[in-house]
Amino acid sequence: MANTILVKNFLEDTGPIDLQIRLVAGSSGLDKEIRVGDINRPGLTLAGFYEFFAYDRIQIFGLGESAYLRQLSDTQKRHVLEKFFSYDVLCCVFTHNEEPDRQFVEFADQKGVPVFVTLKDTTKFTSSLVYLLNEAFAPTLTLHGTFIDVYGIGVLLIGKSGVGKSECALELVERGHRFIADDVVLVKRVDESILMGSGSPLLKHHMEIRGLGIINVKDIFGIRSVRDRKRVELVVVLEEWVQNKEYDRLGLEETTYPLLDMHVPSIMVPVRPGRNIPIIVETAALNQRLKKLGIFTARDLDQNIQENLKRENGNG
Amino acid sequence: MTEREVVVKSDAGVHARPAMMIVREAMKYSCEVKLIKEDVEADCKSIMSVLGLAIVSGSRLVIRASGEGEEKVVDAIVSMIENNFTIHEKPAEKN
Repeated sequence: MANTILVKNFLEDTGPIDLQIRLVAGSSGLDKEIRVGDINRPGLTLAGFYEFFAYDRIQIFGLGESAYLRQLSDTQKRHVLEKFFSYDVLCCVFTHNEEPDRQFVEFADQKGVPVFVTLKDTTKFTSSLVYLLNEAFAPTLTLHGTFIDVYGIGVLLIGKSGVGKSECALELVERGHRFIADDVVLVKRVDESILMGSGSPLLKHHMEIRGLGIINVKDIFGIRSVRDRKRVELVVVLEEWVQNKEYDRLGLEETTYPLLDMHVPSIMVPVRPGRNIPIIVETAALNQRLKKLGIFTARDLDQNIQENLKRENGNG
Repeated sequence: MTEREVVVKSDAGVHARPAMMIVREAMKYSCEVKLIKEDVEADCKSIMSVLGLAIVSGSRLVIRASGEGEEKVVDAIVSMIENNFTIHEKPAEKN
């Protein structure tokens, strides 16, 4: 999916973040594409310093910029705005509910530069905007798997078609865990250390179970059985049991699965008829929670045994 | 690896039934089959995955397979899409 965001997207649904903005001028430029996730305070530029003018970023007019424009005479302001709008400015946002004056609106309309006014103060607006832009520009990956929240750990089940991911998810939902996505999982690196997983908006909470067809998990199991997004914290790779293959029996080593240049803790679970995979996934999630708290069972046990052996040796 | 491009012409796009036909065809082969639309990859053996691509009339798709029978499966799916999902539909059998 291409990561493009248009200026007009600010006026649409922005999810949990409300920018509290309205458009006051330049509606003809609403289809402009935002290419960089940075912002610019144009104070220096308005005062006449045009070197390093990042006109292709979102321009934030705070109280300072508004006050500066207000104290200019009409002719001065015309000069300032003429120069400012001679650049291909992306869009402008006035914070603190400060309305731009008529002259500003005229220039913006003429040049097709969208101008917004927000009720928020500059710092709050900037942080909301940076959050939204970060989300929009975050590297994204679509992968084939099943994503479910098990005891508060976002568990991504990966494996070939038909290995039993969906059935496993169904059993986990039945046990009270929350379903996020099946088959199509969108993973976003929203921060250097955070991977966020969600489902495709089109397929929301639907799942295909062979023999049943397509079901809606939310309708069947109710609202408490689903959630929209969750951090990806554990990858469980389901694999058909291969005779004579060595599977991890100790869990001393921590294995990881590469996702968007990050290393997510992972385990490999061999599947064969009669094995109760959901309970293994549940236990893996709980074990992962313990590890997050610094409790590493396999290593602790190994250490105990080694100390014991040392003592025995000393006595003997 | 075998790969071919095809443009969807059927007016209704790939909704549930055509998606099922694609999946059913892909399932006949053991190889890995992918359907790619605008850099988004879908597993051809998963209905939800294929439906999630939101393939409409005019969508340009790449069918990519690797493994045993890769050429056959790519040919079969391409011809299915080119024929607007008609030739593979068998008439309902009467009892």
